[in-house]
Amino acid sequence: MFGAAIVTLIILTNILVAIAFGFGGQQMGLTFEESIANTPADAWLLITLGVIGVVGTASLYKYLSIRAGGKAIAEALGGHLLHQNAADANQRRLLNVVEEMAIASGVPVPPVYLIAEPSINAFAAGFSPQDAVIGINQGTIDHLDRTELQGVVAHEFSHILNGDTNINLRLIAILHGILFLGIIGYGVLRVGGHSRKNGGAMVALGLGLLVIGFGGTFFGRMIKSAVSRQREYLADASAVQFTRDPSSIADALKKIGGLSVGSTMTSKSAEEASHMFFGAALSKFAGGLMSTHPPLHKRILAIEPGWDGQFPVLKTDPLIARSSDAKPGSAELAHGFAQGGFAQANVDHVSATPDSVIEQVGHPTQDSLAVAQTLIQSTDEMLKNAAHDSYEARGLIYAMLLDKDPSIRVKQLSFLERRAEAQVPQHMTRLIEALDKADRAHLLALIEMSMPALKELSKSQYERFSQNAAELITADDRVDAFEWVMHRLLVQGLYAHFEGPQRHHGKVKSVAKVADDAAKLLSILASHSHDDLDGQLAAYQAGAKELDLAIPFAKQEHFDYQRMNAALANLRKLRPLVKPSIVKACAATVLADNHISVMEGALLQGISATLDCPLPPSIYA
Amino acid sequence: METIIVLVVLAAIAFWIASIYNRLVALKNRYENGFSQIEVQLKRRYDLIPNLVETAKGYMAHERETLEAVINARNQAMAGLQAAAADPGNAGAIKELSGAEGMLGSAMGRLNVVMEAYPDLKANQNMMQLTEELTTTENKVAFSRQGYNDQVTAYNTYRQSFPPTVFANMFGHTDDAELLEFADSEQIQAAPNVSFN
Repeated sequence: MFGAAIVTLIILTNILVAIAFGFGGQQMGLTFEESIANTPADAWLLITLGVIGVVGTASLYKYLSIRAGGKAIAEALGGHLLHQNAADANQRRLLNVVEEMAIASGVPVPPVYLIAEPSINAFAAGFSPQDAVIGINQGTIDHLDRTELQGVVAHEFSHILNGDTNINLRLIAILHGILFLGIIGYGVLRVGGHSRKNGGAMVALGLGLLVIGFGGTFFGRMIKSAVSRQREYLADASAVQFTRDPSSIADALKKIGGLSVGSTMTSKSAEEASHMFFGAALSKFAGGLMSTHPPLHKRILAIEPGWDGQFPVLKTDPLIARSSDAKPGSAELAHGFAQGGFAQANVDHVSATPDSVIEQVGHPTQDSLAVAQTLIQSTDEMLKNAAHDSYEARGLIYAMLLDKDPSIRVKQLSFLERRAEAQVPQHMTRLIEALDKADRAHLLALIEMSMPALKELSKSQYERFSQNAAELITADDRVDAFEWVMHRLLVQGLYAHFEGPQRHHGKVKSVAKVADDAAKLLSILASHSHDDLDGQLAAYQAGAKELDLAIPFAKQEHFDYQRMNAALANLRKLRPLVKPSIVKACAATVLADNHISVMEGALLQGISATLDCPLPPSIYA
Repeated sequence: METIIVLVVLAAIAFWIASIYNRLVALKNRYENGFSQIEVQLKRRYDLIPNLVETAKGYMAHERETLEAVINARNQAMAGLQAAAADPGNAGAIKELSGAEGMLGSAMGRLNVVMEAYPDLKANQNMMQLTEELTTTENKVAFSRQGYNDQVTAYNTYRQSFPPTVFANMFGHTDDAELLEFADSEQIQAAPNVSFN
């Protein structure tokens, strides 16, 4: 679509230059046709290259400036990173809600940025779930209660999981390129106005570029808005599915209507990012083709058909709004427990099928949320606090990687004494005791929970941390399946943040081209999810059937992480829409005996995370 | 024709300069954010110290001077922190905080030495808990200070490198950011440990 837009721009510019030459020629006494005929042929080529050059340079510049991913956008919008350990009650509640949603979706918990605006708005930005961040206005946490906040956060997660945030970032870069053509036109116009020779032609050229540039932007924004409006409806719908409570998002939208500042953003950068927000960020484009969001009342009616059209009257004083949420601690607990009970009643492990697993990729439901809440609630308080503190989070991860075998553990601990940061081993003593009691589902959740804290490390601290973690994993000269999963989740979550988002636009269209690797993966999975050879064979065949693989089962005696990584590296080259079929085959393999253990679930999560198909823990936890 | 080529080149140069500006801003934002992490830990530390002094008072009535010195140093450091947090880019404020922290460190060191003479105090459950928490906080301060200094170094290095150094002054990035070095950091590290070893 944008290729077409650029081609149109090039044609328009060429016509424009032709007209400019025509007028220039007329001033010299030639007729319009003669002067066009006199224009050298390679001029058109140059003009075409020029347009591509200018639009390309401008887009590239914008792209490079947001290359760091979500955090770059959040910082440009004036967001301040919320520290996990230093939050007032409202901020703490927000962080809890985000954490629950992330665990429920099976993605690393994203860092949360707070924007000092009194209006109700939020955004998600990032190229992938790994570098995604969530931005929330101060007004949002002041005016919304927990359920409404949940609706808003679920809406933003839907953008992240559906890949909308990725598209949005690209749109920003491309639109910037087109807009820049207009700015050049403005420059030419000014220069042309002052010069005598060819002044008329220059003015015409400048004016034309200006029209093309701003016209291009206008149409670009219209496209962007059309795309965005549709996605807003979808995200609202997903939020309802996620929270199974239409009122959560509807009430939040109504409060935007009831608040005098609504969802307006005052930051300058908000305009180019207007399509990323929860509510319309620009009040001046509130209606018509240019609006990035559907009208508020339409969005509300889409969720709540019987709505009477009345916006609530908000207590204008944020302090009053805050005091109505008094004692968030106890409310939190009560809420969590209520949800927890609900979860237990709803989750039925045996009924899981490959289809039901695949349905949950990128589409977490109320059940996933309930399971995530129970998982978080039942995690040891001290471990949770450690995961939220960037100092202790490292110790927590180190402690998780310690071996069960006491002799290896001694070796690992002495390694940490030498290599870990000062005092970290001392802090680990308490953590180790608690961790020995925790089960694997909790360990995986703790890894996701510690992501925001770990992302606060400086680059050199991160490098030391990741080296130490790798050292601990290989201390016993072998990598077992669970260690592999933990390592995958860590790498997957942190790499994008410290080394820049990974770009892997899969080009391979069909599984047939990577059949060997798919067979390798399923063989490994079958060998480690079933005990007897018959079971393994049946499991492999169940998976292979999903992918129409004709390659025989190759039993793996030991977990070979290098073989696993190599197979996955090739499978990552598949197109995004094909990847879920691999996850589905893996699910079929694991579920061949109609049972899914935590270890199998963990492997499944490690595989699906690597393939960028986040899987909620509700399938095994 | 030349006009267009010139325009493209000009555009590329303009973007290149703009990207230098953006990078400077981003790096500054990052170290300022890093400071807020230190702020959290230092505040925690400053909140703990009065509790510690309050507990100690009951046992060491004759050491009034030492205790007052600790409280004074703590208050000064607290003020220094507030000034520095308002503008972490202000080298003077950061230096002042470093100095105040150094004084607090030596005051705490003296207190620890004095406390050696009061075995009852050392055995006090409350005291043990406070010291333990103080130790943890010290470690966290040291850790977030390391992170902050890494970010400051990244900013300073970029600011001084060529070509950003040509534009940095023009963009208002006239000064290097100050590293947060605590004069007595060794002593601060050791101080809380001394008492119960």
